[in-house]
Amino acid sequence: MTPWLILRMALQRIRASKMRSALTMLGIIIGVTSVVALISVGQGAQQGIDESLADLGANQISVTATTPDGLQDSDAANIAALPNVLRVSSEVRSNGSASFEGNETSLGLIGVSPGYEAIATPTVASGRFLPAAPGAQSARVAVLSAVAADELGMRFDNLGDEFRINGVAFQFIGVLDDADGFGGGGNVYITQTAARSLFAKSPYVSVINVQATAKETVDSVEQGVESYLRAEKGFVDDDDAEFIIFNQAALQDAVNTVTGTLSLLITGIAGISLVVGGIGIMNIMLVSVRERTREIGVRRAIGATQGQILVQFLMEAVVLSLMGGFIGLVIGELASFGLSRLGDWDFFIDPATVTLALGFSAFVGIVFGVWPARTAAKLQPVDALRFE
Amino acid sequence: MGELVVDLRNVRREYQTGDVATVALAGVSLQVERGEFVAIVGPSGSGKSTMMNLIGCLDRPTSGDVIVARKNVKDLNDKELTALRSKAIGFVFQQFQLLPLTSAVDNVATPLLYQGIGPREARRRAAEMLSKLGLGDRLDFDRSRLSGGQQQRVAISRALVTNPDLVLADEPTGALDTASGEAVMNTFKEMNADGRTIVLITHDLDVAAAAKRRVYIRDGLIERDEKSDQMVGVR
Repeated sequence: MTPWLILRMALQRIRASKMRSALTMLGIIIGVTSVVALISVGQGAQQGIDESLADLGANQISVTATTPDGLQDSDAANIAALPNVLRVSSEVRSNGSASFEGNETSLGLIGVSPGYEAIATPTVASGRFLPAAPGAQSARVAVLSAVAADELGMRFDNLGDEFRINGVAFQFIGVLDDADGFGGGGNVYITQTAARSLFAKSPYVSVINVQATAKETVDSVEQGVESYLRAEKGFVDDDDAEFIIFNQAALQDAVNTVTGTLSLLITGIAGISLVVGGIGIMNIMLVSVRERTREIGVRRAIGATQGQILVQFLMEAVVLSLMGGFIGLVIGELASFGLSRLGDWDFFIDPATVTLALGFSAFVGIVFGVWPARTAAKLQPVDALRFE
Repeated sequence: MGELVVDLRNVRREYQTGDVATVALAGVSLQVERGEFVAIVGPSGSGKSTMMNLIGCLDRPTSGDVIVARKNVKDLNDKELTALRSKAIGFVFQQFQLLPLTSAVDNVATPLLYQGIGPREARRRAAEMLSKLGLGDRLDFDRSRLSGGQQQRVAISRALVTNPDLVLADEPTGALDTASGEAVMNTFKEMNADGRTIVLITHDLDVAAAAKRRVYIRDGLIERDEKSDQMVGVR
């Protein structure tokens, strides 16, 4: 008996009872479909998070003051002089109100230093970002997040129009692209100089953004910044610190760990349905062995060894399981494709997922096929032939 | 005395059902030489099926020796016993027992495939054997498209295709009408005339009359062993 013949026998058997085979495979199909779709969703979510964090800059840290006078311009200048620091920018933040043609809304006001655009690389959907030239810092111009523009009822064709922030007239010069993960809230960006004339007290700043020379130097920059601030501000206990250091790379690692654990958990739960599918196969194979007892007897009488009977039934279980796995893989990938359109992430067929789906279904077929196949092989020919 | 194909020496077979031991064969000795055509005749419960299982190496005796094709069953493990069945014995069952979902030619080829012969060669030999038995135009029919007589001829082809030392037939006409039954018995007679050794198990004295030797069995013992050298017509 060549493997090819045994495979053909198994396929004949499966084809002869299509409905039963389909129902038997259903558990595996559902299991593999959900595992494949969930892995894909996990990868998509991962990709989304990675991109958002990369937008924020994986080689960046930010220092946020927890008191109004926690950080100053001099701190930004001193941090800029630390080793491995590429550039530094600062922000002053407050809440305020804006009005345009009778619409009034409260917004986050962010006054940014000239270096801000180079570090944060905001994506401008329309118009332009704030001027970087030192001479232009006192200009009363503003860039809105898409949410803020929407709340104020401003459209692209309002670019160049005037509106009011805290009652002071500003020119609307640009809108940011929120879909890119930037400026998600209702924020308005103005120059730090303008912000200081409006609400912020010089020389204090709310946030200092620090860009390291490379991703690898982020941690040493973080240490440098922390020891500078400890020395400068002279606090002993961490509770006394008037700022929080925020490391993008560390955040990314933490998020990756969480999403990784979550997808593993969800995939594991989906994997349980594969085990249930395997039990379904075992059940049907046991029924099949019983129904075909006489056939087994005849095969033994005409020269089949126990091993040949075992392989025949095991092959049937594995083929059933693998077919289910393949169908589940196809449905799962189709579902992933649909989900990727909905969630706006890249669709790709991961060879690892294909291997996992097919490998695991073959494994399930073997594990749950062995017992019925052994039962068949262990039948005594004389008993099997006499079986009614 | 010619070469012995079957040699049963004082064979006992008991079955244990709970605490009760049933004696199916109570010490039977029987020798079958190459080229013989033997009918084992007895009513149901006489022990003839047990004898068929023992001669067919499907079962082992409780005591005594079963020697088939010079091999003592006692000395063989399951694998060796299977090999002996495969090589030495061709089975013909009462209910034909063709494999389901399998064409006539693949049914006949199956014993060869189990022997490890390649599929192409196995099918060639199977087709040849079926043609010899007049089924050359039914090669790809499965059992649902064959009459009882045709099915039994497929089964006989399957028994002969391995060129066994012994053809063992269990009530081969039991499920057939008279005409098909006669045709099958004539096939057996022709096979025997070609030198094939045949052991036939039956309760039907008319069927047994086709054999050259009849062994009557009752209550697990051989009652009478008669030989007739002249052929007797069936019915």
